[in-house]
Amino acid sequence: MSGDPSPRSASPAASVFEAVGLKKEFDAGQVQALRGVDFRVAQGEFVAVIGPSGCGKTTLLQMLGALDRPSAGSLSYRGKSLPDLPDPAAYRAHEIGFIFQAFHLLPTFTAEENVQIPMFESDRPFGERRERARELLKAVGLEKRFHHFPAKLSGGERQRVAIARSLANGPSVLLADEPTGNLDSENAGTILELLARVQREQNMTLILVTHDMTVARRASRAIQMKDGRIVFDGDPANLSLSSPT
Amino acid sequence: MTFLAVVARGLIRRPVRTGLTLVGISIGIAAVVALVGMSRGFVASWAAGMKSRGTDIVVHNMRTSLTPKPFPAAARDRIVNLPGVNATCGILVELISIESSEIMIVSAREWGGFSWENLKLLSGRLPSDASERAVILGRTAAEVLTKKVGDTLQIETEEFAVVGIVDGGAVVEDGSVILALPLLQKIMGNEGMINAIDVRVTRGMSETEIQRLCAEINRLIPEARAQVAGEHVRASQGYRMINAMSWGTSLLAVLVGVLGVMNTMLMTVFERKQEICILLAIGWKRSRIVRMILWESAMLGLLGGIVGVALGVAGVSVMKNTPAIRGLLEPELSVGLMLTSVGIAVVVGVVSGLYPAWRSSRLTPSLALQG
Repeated sequence: MSGDPSPRSASPAASVFEAVGLKKEFDAGQVQALRGVDFRVAQGEFVAVIGPSGCGKTTLLQMLGALDRPSAGSLSYRGKSLPDLPDPAAYRAHEIGFIFQAFHLLPTFTAEENVQIPMFESDRPFGERRERARELLKAVGLEKRFHHFPAKLSGGERQRVAIARSLANGPSVLLADEPTGNLDSENAGTILELLARVQREQNMTLILVTHDMTVARRASRAIQMKDGRIVFDGDPANLSLSSPT
Repeated sequence: MTFLAVVARGLIRRPVRTGLTLVGISIGIAAVVALVGMSRGFVASWAAGMKSRGTDIVVHNMRTSLTPKPFPAAARDRIVNLPGVNATCGILVELISIESSEIMIVSAREWGGFSWENLKLLSGRLPSDASERAVILGRTAAEVLTKKVGDTLQIETEEFAVVGIVDGGAVVEDGSVILALPLLQKIMGNEGMINAIDVRVTRGMSETEIQRLCAEINRLIPEARAQVAGEHVRASQGYRMINAMSWGTSLLAVLVGVLGVMNTMLMTVFERKQEICILLAIGWKRSRIVRMILWESAMLGLLGGIVGVALGVAGVSVMKNTPAIRGLLEPELSVGLMLTSVGIAVVVGVVSGLYPAWRSSRLTPSLALQG
């Protein structure tokens, strides 16, 4: 992909995320979103986290993105405790790319400007930010949509802008929350292909939350959750028999 | 795209609300410009009037009012031969209602005094002596009173002939009704009294020497106070009260502006809650969010300040031509006052943005995944 010129070298043994006994409670313990989750994710893995609504998959994504802190257990990113990061914003800006189900583009900014937004936290000068945004938009096939506002883009195009935005600061991990949830099947297929291509070409770690079995089967690994626990962790091809969704 | 462009985009997303907030700040700033400009103009106009008459020192008793209190005209005799005093002229000045004009400067001067010298006749003549029942009008006063040479003018219960129209060389002089001292003393029931002595000093005296002369006059005339011309108005309690009221009224208007901006910025933060959470989720630091909100409110202040100064200038130009004010003063709209007003507006913007910015900094980025 032309958006990021420096694909990371594959080192399957290196653990990007490691969770041990991860718990998250809300409302003084009345709601237990995560009830002791253990897993490891290696560099370059494409992991689908699947499960029904309320199973804890979005909460898990929040933990991985340092958007929230666990109630108990440990969670580390490349050996460093995520809850103890001195600067979670810098982690989100440079290590993580977020893709949301509802795209979450800023409506008063053009596609090119939306992609530039995360780059304010980098040291790139104005001209370089614009060039980088254009490169990324070209890479997701939106070279003719630089100056379009989100309202003038189709759902698939908006999600492609969101993907370009997530890659703005060259993260090593993409966290996608139901990225095809608001798209028709044709656009969903295009977006999944795009995400898989980005992940493959840049050897990125992609963690994709979905409740859709067909989406999960595109991943190299599936983690299935139910009631805040992992009930399956393995080859997505084996999901159908154990799927509770 | 620059950070400033991000800030500007935040403001134009709700143009009507931004516009109304701008109007709110602008009115406050316009009040500052207009009221302070008028009160400063009052001092400047009197100073210019004094300069036009060739007065260097004014001996007066103007502690608590805008027009000085009367004291015996004989006091003049105590200073007339002082070294450094070139000439003196006893004055009785009053602000009174004349015919259709609600307030008019009536300046009665000792016959033959130097204060008559710099009046340039535009039409008619000067009174022939101190006893002639005649007045001359500054050109603005003539316009305000709609009088010309040959007309009569009623002051209180007395009627006078308008014998001349003059160019006094300053707003206050142009706006005055001028007559001989005994005539006004009689009308006002102040026979033998004056309320100011215009003093012209010997040419070439330094400021220090003038100040020393003032001190000497003060010693000789304890019932009045000698001050450098123009300063006497600034030092009066009446002017200070007007100045304080101008600032007080202005600051009240500015306070309304503060509340308007704060309300707008709070609404902005509430409305853009999810947007702010998204910005946090994609890596923006809280300090950048705070800066964005503060810059937005500061920019609102800056724009409001610029519009307010323009409104203030326009308002003052309308006000100075109203019958009640015309001829009394020339508003002082200095660059300094305009810059100060814009500065106040920017400070208003920043202060108003502090609480909304603090609120925005407390939002949690996890809300981004809940929308």
